[in-house]
Amino acid sequence: MSSGIQAPSHDYTFRASDKRRPRDLLVIVPTFILLLLLVFPVLWMVFTSLRPASALIGGTGLSELFVDLGFDSYVRLFQGSDFARFIGNSLLISLVSTTCTLILASVAAYGFSRFRFRGRYPLLLVVLATQLVPFVVLITPVYLFFSTLGLLNTYFGLIIVYVAMTLPLATYLMLGFLNTVPRMLDEAARVDGCNTLQAIFRVILPVAVPGLVSTGVTTFIATWEEFLFASVFLTDPNLKTVQVGLYGFFGEYATDWGVIMAAATISAIPTIVLFSIIQRRLITGVAAGSVKE
Amino acid sequence: MAIIAVLFLFPAVYNLVLSFQQLTPYQSPAEAVWVGLRNFVSVFTSPQTATAAINTALPFTFATVAARVVLGLGLAQLLQSRTLARWRLRGLARTLALLPWMIPPVAAVASWRWMLNANTGVINQILTSTGLVDSGIPFLAQTSTVWWAIDTILVWRELPFVVIVIMAGLQAIPQEQYEAAELDSANRWQRFRYVTLPNLRPVLLVVVLITTIQTFNNFVYVWLTTGGGPGNYTQVLATQLYSAAFIDNNLGQGAAIGLIMSIVMLIFALVYLRITSGKENL
Repeated sequence: MSSGIQAPSHDYTFRASDKRRPRDLLVIVPTFILLLLLVFPVLWMVFTSLRPASALIGGTGLSELFVDLGFDSYVRLFQGSDFARFIGNSLLISLVSTTCTLILASVAAYGFSRFRFRGRYPLLLVVLATQLVPFVVLITPVYLFFSTLGLLNTYFGLIIVYVAMTLPLATYLMLGFLNTVPRMLDEAARVDGCNTLQAIFRVILPVAVPGLVSTGVTTFIATWEEFLFASVFLTDPNLKTVQVGLYGFFGEYATDWGVIMAAATISAIPTIVLFSIIQRRLITGVAAGSVKE
Repeated sequence: MAIIAVLFLFPAVYNLVLSFQQLTPYQSPAEAVWVGLRNFVSVFTSPQTATAAINTALPFTFATVAARVVLGLGLAQLLQSRTLARWRLRGLARTLALLPWMIPPVAAVASWRWMLNANTGVINQILTSTGLVDSGIPFLAQTSTVWWAIDTILVWRELPFVVIVIMAGLQAIPQEQYEAAELDSANRWQRFRYVTLPNLRPVLLVVVLITTIQTFNNFVYVWLTTGGGPGNYTQVLATQLYSAAFIDNNLGQGAAIGLIMSIVMLIFALVYLRITSGKENL
């Protein structure tokens, strides 16, 4: 996790100026004060969630940061609301969407990677272009479309939306990974009598596991964080996702910030953990997508 | 591919149809009434749309994109600095700098609303205890501060993306160019101005376009902080679309706003594709 992007190697060749000097602290200390300010909202969220309710009523100051920490707010959160259910809903929706997206993206990316068919380039442009689609604009037509089909207030409806939303980027990411898998493997699979789908799922993908993981994580995070479609399409309180449930608390628990911060902290745990896992790969991925070689 | 086509093309076409109809979310599409251009007339003549359009363009998109690029340039250079590398602190610094991006937007907004709270928020506690202000400032409820608050939240959460991309761009700059500049006894500013900036130009262009497109369409930061208020002061096009369609129950008008937004986006998208096409992957 320590270094996201490898600096060019000549950066590390020994130079006279590479010795640590006391003067460096003039850069390091301000840098870390700045970074502390940047992460402060996250720390504050976590600490607030751990403070006893009585300490939050009059507002809580910096001085009391470490006093009386405990999980009272979390107990109130799970006893007083359906948050556990929301977590289950979100996990189900995100996991199923991610699985579907990964399967479809792998097949699509394999096609783009291995076959030079007519219309390949314009199709790829379309895949890229869908990344720029203003999703908020699609909300009215898709809402009506779904209400006709009876897909509102179903997990299935939201999963379709999420697969469509995440598929283009996932295909693009998988394409990058599959392009690095040597074609010899395809031929070997073919010689062993695999058809195309078997070749993809039995031979190619096992080699591209790191790519699958980072694409899957990216997809999972995107669906876990999504708010707009989840709030419009799932109005049944039993179907709410974590993000929509958390938003509901803004009004419901307007005076109990401990509970809101506890919910916010929980909603952030999966994304922080997953981000950390793929941080290095994610950074190189973003870099590859934006910097021309 | 067929799935993508069905899920994007169909709604796009249907959105066009819908923008000429009148319909509430509780009716079936069969009950829609054709109203010709009435939706567009009311969108274009309402002063609220003008406010939303200006809000979307200036305080929401332009200000935050500019802030992200400037701060991103600074932070990326700081994180890349040789000083941090000497002390083996680059990795830690980078992880800390990325943390805001790992927080879901709704949770980020929740945390900031708590910090900005007029009576009990930590920012107002600090301000009042140091005597800077007499009573807490309701940052999100008064027009003089509300855009500053929204922009701060947005920039805080979205800055790491810009930092990552700029860092990647910085690493692609050949070290020899800096060495040559040093031989010409260029100072720090000159090295930045004549080596770093020209090399980063294409990267910055892509960053500006991506962030502009994302912010232009963004719904959550305004909706979850102010809901477009106080009054309609912070309404942007995305929240206006939502309000028209699902609060005022006028899906046709929402579709009309959506169509106008799409056309603006299409222009940005064409520019973006022109720049990114010809990438090695394609």
